[in-house]
Amino acid sequence: MLPNLKVENLSCVRSEKAIFENLNFDVFPGQNIEIIGSNGSGKTTLLRAILGLIRPENGTIRWLDDDNNFNEYRTYDCFYQGHQLGIKNLLTVFENLNLTHNAKGLKKEKIYKCLERVGLSNINDLASSLSVGQRKRISIARWLLKDFKIYFIDEPFSALDDEATNLIERLIIELNTEGCSFVMTGHRPSQVNASRIEI
Amino acid sequence: MSNSIFGWLTIILRRDLLIAFRRSATYITPLIFFLIVVTFFPLALGPQESLLSSLAPGVIWIATLLASLLAVESIFSEDFRDGTLDNFFISLEPSFVLVFAKVLIHWLITGLPIMAASIIAAIVLYLPFDSFLPILLSLILGTSFMSLLGALGAALSLGKSAILSAIIVLPFSIPTLLMGTSVITSSINSQDYFGFLMIMGAMLAIGIPLLCLLTVEALLLNYD
Repeated sequence: MLPNLKVENLSCVRSEKAIFENLNFDVFPGQNIEIIGSNGSGKTTLLRAILGLIRPENGTIRWLDDDNNFNEYRTYDCFYQGHQLGIKNLLTVFENLNLTHNAKGLKKEKIYKCLERVGLSNINDLASSLSVGQRKRISIARWLLKDFKIYFIDEPFSALDDEATNLIERLIIELNTEGCSFVMTGHRPSQVNASRIEI
Repeated sequence: MSNSIFGWLTIILRRDLLIAFRRSATYITPLIFFLIVVTFFPLALGPQESLLSSLAPGVIWIATLLASLLAVESIFSEDFRDGTLDNFFISLEPSFVLVFAKVLIHWLITGLPIMAASIIAAIVLYLPFDSFLPILLSLILGTSFMSLLGALGAALSLGKSAILSAIIVLPFSIPTLLMGTSVITSSINSQDYFGFLMIMGAMLAIGIPLLCLLTVEALLLNYD
């Protein structure tokens, strides 16, 4: 089986300081990678470098295309969730899902189903009235809008209660069985079955 | 592909217009500011018809430029702060469409209300009825170009002081100011103003692709 993503000798330098050097890993379908490191160790920078938001100093990032060739450009959508959840306070729970670019062309029923799977029933409430945990659930519902090959999630388990943590772990397992991969960051190893890289 | 781009454009427009209408200050503030500036002139100078009508082109256009800059900082700032912008750039859709949608929204919430208010301004400043159409035409082209410039200024000053975007944009708005005032002055003097309108149209036609692409690059600079 070929990996969906190959990261080779990736190095990133900011203000003449090496954030990470010579990182190598592959992301296979259904596999999870967990990047472990302390605050400021470059976990977010690594995710952003892979996704092309930041230019790395050295190394290559190659994506598998439909013809089983590796390219430096991506031909499919990935999901990225950074520290900020992208939740709009002046939109309702439903609108926060329905008016994202990943919901393009989706039927309302699909949106309702995604919200139901993460346990959100107050779909007409403004996001400004929600708790931090409920806002996080909206962002988790966005994972389910489409079948993404790879999910890049920055610290998915931070500031969550046990119920939400279990929900994420369950969803990751479900999506893994569908062939989706996760590249996650964290301060310490999570309960999820993953290959771990320390930076 | 074109359906996909249109679908994306529609989602951005629907989302941002909904947010703008729920946060009424976004479109009311530039409108009120424009009307206050314009009505202060008759109050300060007195109701002298000839003086006010001779000053009117400059007054309308300076008020328009300043009012349209009020909402410039907010074009990208919220999306940048809450991570929405990251997802736009990571998606496979062209970033040009995002910037174009943002410019269009800025124009709809600032340029369009100002155009409506410009008729009140024309009446307050004793402009003849014949000049209403040229005022509206010059404002359509001029405010659209200002929204494009504003987006570039907002992208360059993202995460920095709001006044910085105004300082970046204002010097580049001088051609718009000159052409806009020339259109109104020519119409008041019953002269041909189509040449000025055509220059403004050409500026807009070049500005849409060029300034949108520059804005995309300026936004990406914020990640490095």
